[in-house]
Amino acid sequence: MSSEESPQITRRTTRLSAANSENAVDSSKSCALKPLSVNDLLYGNSPISLEELISSFPGRRGQIIELMSLLGPVNSPMFPTFVYGGSSTGKTSVVLNIFRHLRRPFVYASCITCYSPRILFESILNQLMLHRKSDSNGYSSIKRCDKPSDFVNLLREALSGVIGTLQGNAEKAGSKKAARWPNGKMVYLIFDSLNLVKEWEKSSTILPFLFNLYDILRMPEVGLIFISNNSLDTYYADTGFVEPFPFHFPDYSEDDLRQILLKHQVNKNLYSSFLDVVLRPFCRITRRVNELSTALLPLFKKYCEPLGDLGAVPNEDMKRKLYGHLQRHIAPSLNETFRVSAGLTSGASRSKDNKRKGIVKKLEACTSSNELDFHMSTSAKFLLISAFLASRNPATLDASFFDSTGGSDNRKRKRKSSAKSLEQKETAEQELLMKGPGTFPLERLLAIFQCLTSVAEYSPDVEGQGNRATMGDSGYIGSHVLLQLSSLCNANFITKGGSCPLEGSTRYRSNVSEDMVLKVARSVKFPLSKYLYRR
Amino acid sequence: MGLKNPVEQAVILLRSRLCNPNFIFTLFSDSPDSNYSKLKYIISSSVTESCNNSVLLLGPRGCGKLAVLELVLEDLLREFPDMISVIKLNGLLHSDDNCALKEIARQLCLEHQLAFSKMASSDENSQFLIAMLRECGLAHKTVLFVLDEFDLFAQGKQRLLYSLLDAMQSVTSQAVVIGVSCRLDADQLLEKRVRSRFSHRKLLFLPPSREDLQRLLEHALLLPSGSDLPHEFVANFNSNLLNIFADKKFKDIMDTVFNTDSTFKQVLTFLFSALCHLDLKCGFLSVENFKDALSNIQRQPKLECLKDCSILELYILVCMKRLEVREHETCNFNSIMKEYKSIHDSFQTTDYYARDVCRRAFEHLLQRELISFLDNRGHGHSIEFRPVKLLISWQELYQGLKSYGSCPAILYKLVERETTT
Repeated sequence: MSSEESPQITRRTTRLSAANSENAVDSSKSCALKPLSVNDLLYGNSPISLEELISSFPGRRGQIIELMSLLGPVNSPMFPTFVYGGSSTGKTSVVLNIFRHLRRPFVYASCITCYSPRILFESILNQLMLHRKSDSNGYSSIKRCDKPSDFVNLLREALSGVIGTLQGNAEKAGSKKAARWPNGKMVYLIFDSLNLVKEWEKSSTILPFLFNLYDILRMPEVGLIFISNNSLDTYYADTGFVEPFPFHFPDYSEDDLRQILLKHQVNKNLYSSFLDVVLRPFCRITRRVNELSTALLPLFKKYCEPLGDLGAVPNEDMKRKLYGHLQRHIAPSLNETFRVSAGLTSGASRSKDNKRKGIVKKLEACTSSNELDFHMSTSAKFLLISAFLASRNPATLDASFFDSTGGSDNRKRKRKSSAKSLEQKETAEQELLMKGPGTFPLERLLAIFQCLTSVAEYSPDVEGQGNRATMGDSGYIGSHVLLQLSSLCNANFITKGGSCPLEGSTRYRSNVSEDMVLKVARSVKFPLSKYLYRR
Repeated sequence: MGLKNPVEQAVILLRSRLCNPNFIFTLFSDSPDSNYSKLKYIISSSVTESCNNSVLLLGPRGCGKLAVLELVLEDLLREFPDMISVIKLNGLLHSDDNCALKEIARQLCLEHQLAFSKMASSDENSQFLIAMLRECGLAHKTVLFVLDEFDLFAQGKQRLLYSLLDAMQSVTSQAVVIGVSCRLDADQLLEKRVRSRFSHRKLLFLPPSREDLQRLLEHALLLPSGSDLPHEFVANFNSNLLNIFADKKFKDIMDTVFNTDSTFKQVLTFLFSALCHLDLKCGFLSVENFKDALSNIQRQPKLECLKDCSILELYILVCMKRLEVREHETCNFNSIMKEYKSIHDSFQTTDYYARDVCRRAFEHLLQRELISFLDNRGHGHSIEFRPVKLLISWQELYQGLKSYGSCPAILYKLVERETTT
């Protein structure tokens, strides 16, 4: 947590405060904010010493020193460097803080916020040309640029401008203000989260372009640093690219994690004895700082429950007592490690797919209770049940389930022959595991829905009276059902798949787990198991 | 600037040398049968005899195609001032025809102090190009077109290549097209109408030989005596370096570098890394620096990645491997979970976690790109059902488990058994 508190935010605030420094290099900007100067390419106003830097990143000493040797002494050119390592290992913050320590000017662009080539290019140019989006310029970028070719020309121009200023500064270096000025005449470009570029539309041209940027620019005063989650061998290109210099950030070891987790604790002794107990089993599941810290938080509260005084230094006896208290909580909480984070991180998770699944994940998380914890109209509930049935049951058996005459003997035959076709059953089960819920056309869903609502109407006390009026109208399906369907699609209970190549109609698929549907069925008193085909 | 630490100064000097390909390749410009001499001859003869020409520079990445070309261009610009104008295009930037024509027009305007209009249409630009070519021909000025990443220009309709090469067919024009590509079959990519207009001159650039490498080392790392560095320091530094070059251990290291990847780029990266390891206090390179550099450039990313995995993630990988060995056609999260459960049932492992936890570990693996989805489509499906594949081989997994500090013995046994049976 300590090492990965979003660096962009801290950076932005420090940038603003940095903007208050004097010595304007260029002016002609209106508004209350002071015009930007080359100093704003630095990280913050206050440099930190090497000891501070190393002590603020426990377990990263080796990486910091090696990375600094890669950057080299002032004014020394460098090879493009590719920093990689798992998420939440402190790549970005270490790199940025090294620049803060060295006081060298740099431009930072994260591919998380710069999600398209154009935004990436313009953000870099804005920073280099000391341009600030504001009311007076309509929050526009300084240059419009979406092609790599334009970008290279503009970048060259901007870089030589900045380098010129820096050189001018260096010549005047005798004066008092020199201490505030950036160090040296190198400018560094930092591209963060490069692995996201792989998912861009034009990734096949943008990635080799970025990797070759150093050779294209041919400016020794520019240093390039790429930060990525994945190693270089996961970047493919047709004819390859000039490989940047690889630099690895390994995941934290258990000892490092202990130090990091201890860092912001008030009562270090207490927490340390707590970590003695829990850290090892949790490390077997994940070694990411962010996930561990959220998982350990509630557990530590439990640990402290028997304690009256939180500032107490625990002795052996007390430790044993606390351990006895905590022991029974550890195993269940291991299995709930990601319950909270599943909902929280879904927005930030990697692919779009993950994001969409996030909602269902959260909903599944509440299966333990018997009640639904959200409201849904009755017809939506029936629609959800019919979608579930349409997904699970084979279409050929619809008649036997829903047609009162065609019925049940078909099912019985299946049941009886089970001894003979045990093997068949197993393969079918395997298939269900592999293929997941099936798809169905809209017509089938509506037909099942109609059957269900007509059944529900005959059963004695189903629902409130108002609903029955609309639902009982079994001959006609109003537009409200279609509206419900689209809102269910939006809520990701049902996904709309691609159209079937043969029929051409859109196909749907239900995403809901069986537990969830059972709960829904219970809430409308619908006998779901009667209609569910068991293999 | 005041007095600076000589070590720091030397490091800066050496680093700027390594980052400047032109400096590195001046070493090879003197011999008569080098690519430098050949290329220079081709271009200078077409400049002096005012004829059209085209040539391809082919060779793997990092063998100095562009650097040699730059050197030649630099020399020629000095020899024939006002007779050459150079237009540089890059396939990564200008593979789009309209964009390329615009860039040509821009560079021509810049070169001849003309006003460049951003709004000009591609048609106007191409007319401008032809007119400029004619004018330059009349003025006995050669236009050199350098097309880096030539193979990318050969995608699509190749309109740019055609119009360039076609313009060169006329008597009045005077131009040289130089294509640079790392695809050795770059000329086979050309369409018939383009190929027939192309002179099939090719220059092949190869990785350096061992002797060249030795010369390169000395050329790149030995400090010059005539600089503002103190004489004593330079002498010490150089004699220390020569000692290292003669060292048996150093020779072994260089052999390893040479045997894995002997392109100039790789050797330079290696030297750069060694230089970064130089201890600023002692001020001299040592064999250890080179050893560290070797381990720095010879990385095994998949093994590093395995080392970063948690134990639960390793379990999932082993399950997948077992499924793969048993030739299940595809596997997805559900089938992996089934396997995971069966392992737990038969061995009573301590690491048996809930499904949600396993799914997060599964997602971590996807993020680490140790596994990936088989198809890019199927966004409608939830993660559990999408088929996945393993991106590491059995050996990598085995080695990874072996080097993993606290790997449970059972996992190790499971993987080992899969191969013996």
